[in-house]
Amino acid sequence: MAGVSAKSERKTNPNRHVRRILFPFLVSVLAWIPLEAYGQYHAKGTEWPTYAADLAGTRYRPFDQINASNFNDLEVVWRLKTDMFGNRPEYKLEGTPLMVNGVLYTTAGSRRAAIAVDAATGELLWVHGEREGKRGAAAPRQLSGRGLAYWSDGKVERILYITQGYRLVCLDAKTGVRVPSFGEDGIVDLKLNDDQTIFPDLITGEIGLHSAPIVAGNTVIVGAAFREGFTPSSMRNNKGYVRGFDVRTGKRLWIFHTIPKKGEFGYDTWLNGSAEYTGNTGVWTQITVDEELGLVYLPVESPTGDFYGGHRPGNNLFGESLVCIDLKTGELRWYFQLVHHPLWDMDVSSAPILVDITVNGHPVKAVAQPSKQGFLYVFDRVTGKPVWPIEEKPVETGSVPGEWYSPTQPIPSRPPAYSRNGVSMDELIDFTPELREQAEKIVSRYHIGPVFTPPVASKTEGPLATLTLGTADGGTNWPGGSYDPETHILYAYACNACLEPIGLVPPPKELSDMNYVYGTAGKKPRMINAAGTDSSADAPKPAGKAASADEWNPLTIDGLPLIKPPYGTISAINLDKGEIVWQIPHGETPDLIRNNSALKGVNISRTGQETWNVGTLVTKTLVIAGDGVVTTTAEHPRGAMLRAYDKATGKEVGAVYMPAPESGSPMTYMFNGKQYVVIAVSGGNYSGEYIAFSLPSEE
Amino acid sequence: MRNGSAARLALVVLVITLPLTSRAQSQQSVTASDMRSVWDGVYTDEQARRGQPLYHDACSACHGDSLKGSGETPALAGNTFLSNWNGLPLGDLFERIRRTMPQDKPSRVNRQQKSDILAYLLSCNGFPVGKTELPHQTEFLNEIRFDATKPDPKK
Repeated sequence: MAGVSAKSERKTNPNRHVRRILFPFLVSVLAWIPLEAYGQYHAKGTEWPTYAADLAGTRYRPFDQINASNFNDLEVVWRLKTDMFGNRPEYKLEGTPLMVNGVLYTTAGSRRAAIAVDAATGELLWVHGEREGKRGAAAPRQLSGRGLAYWSDGKVERILYITQGYRLVCLDAKTGVRVPSFGEDGIVDLKLNDDQTIFPDLITGEIGLHSAPIVAGNTVIVGAAFREGFTPSSMRNNKGYVRGFDVRTGKRLWIFHTIPKKGEFGYDTWLNGSAEYTGNTGVWTQITVDEELGLVYLPVESPTGDFYGGHRPGNNLFGESLVCIDLKTGELRWYFQLVHHPLWDMDVSSAPILVDITVNGHPVKAVAQPSKQGFLYVFDRVTGKPVWPIEEKPVETGSVPGEWYSPTQPIPSRPPAYSRNGVSMDELIDFTPELREQAEKIVSRYHIGPVFTPPVASKTEGPLATLTLGTADGGTNWPGGSYDPETHILYAYACNACLEPIGLVPPPKELSDMNYVYGTAGKKPRMINAAGTDSSADAPKPAGKAASADEWNPLTIDGLPLIKPPYGTISAINLDKGEIVWQIPHGETPDLIRNNSALKGVNISRTGQETWNVGTLVTKTLVIAGDGVVTTTAEHPRGAMLRAYDKATGKEVGAVYMPAPESGSPMTYMFNGKQYVVIAVSGGNYSGEYIAFSLPSEE
Repeated sequence: MRNGSAARLALVVLVITLPLTSRAQSQQSVTASDMRSVWDGVYTDEQARRGQPLYHDACSACHGDSLKGSGETPALAGNTFLSNWNGLPLGDLFERIRRTMPQDKPSRVNRQQKSDILAYLLSCNGFPVGKTELPHQTEFLNEIRFDATKPDPKK
């Protein structure tokens, strides 16, 4: 057995900072990994070695031990509560663990600790945390993040993750101790060497990341995230470049400027020199790599100002684009801008998925990109050419003063949209004529229209906002999709009823130098932070804000969604044909609808749930996903169900109880002949917990 | 039927029952027939009015003026929020707020203020006002049940 004592840790890490920043209990919890588990490392099909199962982003493992005949037999084999990994519980646990050589690695807790646990028992093997003080407290993206990355050359094993304060940490996977030969004592400060000076300073400068880094070959690739872009305090911000680092040394190998610098391709899509000061445009979600082709696929987010682009006239490359770069050099190979001059917060929000398909009899190495707007964009991943035509179609141009509008937007001809991306009266709640009437009355105060209907300046007499679907929280968000490489079918969860009213108001000068920010006429605009802002254990008390007597303005009727079901769906999309094979509502009908006395006697089939953070897993025969909302039914007490569907038909074939909703995507692995499914649950009154399911032992 | 299916069934029942038992125990008081519901007028208009500016000071930066959340911050009104707390003692929601909110420093808003904020949240979610204020002691709040839908008076 190998272990690390306080003494031996000091010996291997003479830098005394190490002990100070490691959790005090690191040395007592200890590394406890059986040495015999480690020989020459080979990526095994039984493992889950990277965030999305593989570098192609498939979230697929062809296991069949857990199948339709026994899914209901699943039992909890271990659970790991994450409250201890920070000084307060976390209720937003989103990690997908990795499993290599019988050890599960993941991030956890309000400290965003990196932890290793025994894959069979859930026993904690080691924990590593970084106390970053003010820098951690000021981070734009806090809490536990989405996970980490694993790398091995067959001799040494490494775990890489990004702290809340935006530092890339390299750990010995056996011990959880930093690797001194990487960066500076195991750390690369990501706020440095970024082809920009992070302002205002390294401590408070806004830039961070909550997704997992990805390692391809010997290169670890890192993106960037910022605060929510609803109400930017300035049109100026730091930029979200993407960098590749040598996994052994931490040396920067390349950088890709997501906002081109002067002289670079795409700079002229930022009129009036706006590329100089506009920021954001990061890659905050998971990156995908084709190691064989040596290509990296970057899903890029919106530029500064999610809903107002008057300070950044032009198409704004590479905002809201899928970008392909060279793995070795970071040089641009091709790009496709999904949304010109972004105004709807249609960040490209999840991992592009690499798919080898057959279209009209011809094999195509393709990449498929799920989206918030419910389009699945499919390209030849070598050339960037759309597999099916994506046509530039005229769209409504708005009238917000100072705004610049793209007259057209690209609309995929196939597959058809797999979730709603526009609002019409036909989509409103229709359980009863009375409810429809009330909904129409509410909606009459808003501007509505199809996909790419632009935001409006909010007016008290109306329109209050443009009412949208398939924007900020719509369609497929960060959990992304899954793909079965055998059948060429892609599975994606989508929120089908996540309404976002996008109204714009001029902010007071002390709040922002933007002409317009997100808000409603008659209400004082307020800064909107990212979830988890100021939630780090190191966060200080912010200055108090003035009170006001704003009127509450719901977009529900007695808690019922304005939009009719299905509220959330899983779609199966055949990528050889570009067709939706099946689409089902996912998630139990909410209590509020099932038990609503106003709906008594109304026959309501399963509605699915109005939530957007559900991820899917695909196995040999099943699609597995958990409910995203708590329900209480005759069959189960308060909780949520982890469901299995026949992947060929979408028919539900089993469901097991979880105490709280799925908040991270399910993953699976085989270990010692047993298949496990591990999932992060949290939310409401239930703090973060990883739960491992398996079949009962035969003994 | 395969061999061992009965044993497997027993195991499943055990596994499914075990975690539920502890939950059910903690909810025993919730099911008492004399328990008040959030539909019984458990806060006053004045208290909700006190809670409104406190909400805007401590909560709206993330949860938004309209309580609908923003970006990745969950809503404090509507379907998902009501579902999350449906059937639980109001003290559970209060404790979540008390222990973890506002996230930067939960202790900067005291119990009474959090009770007032809770009254404001109840008013925004359409629960009726009453003649007595919400208490600020968790034990007392545990005597009030959070029901997402109005209980059927016939039952």
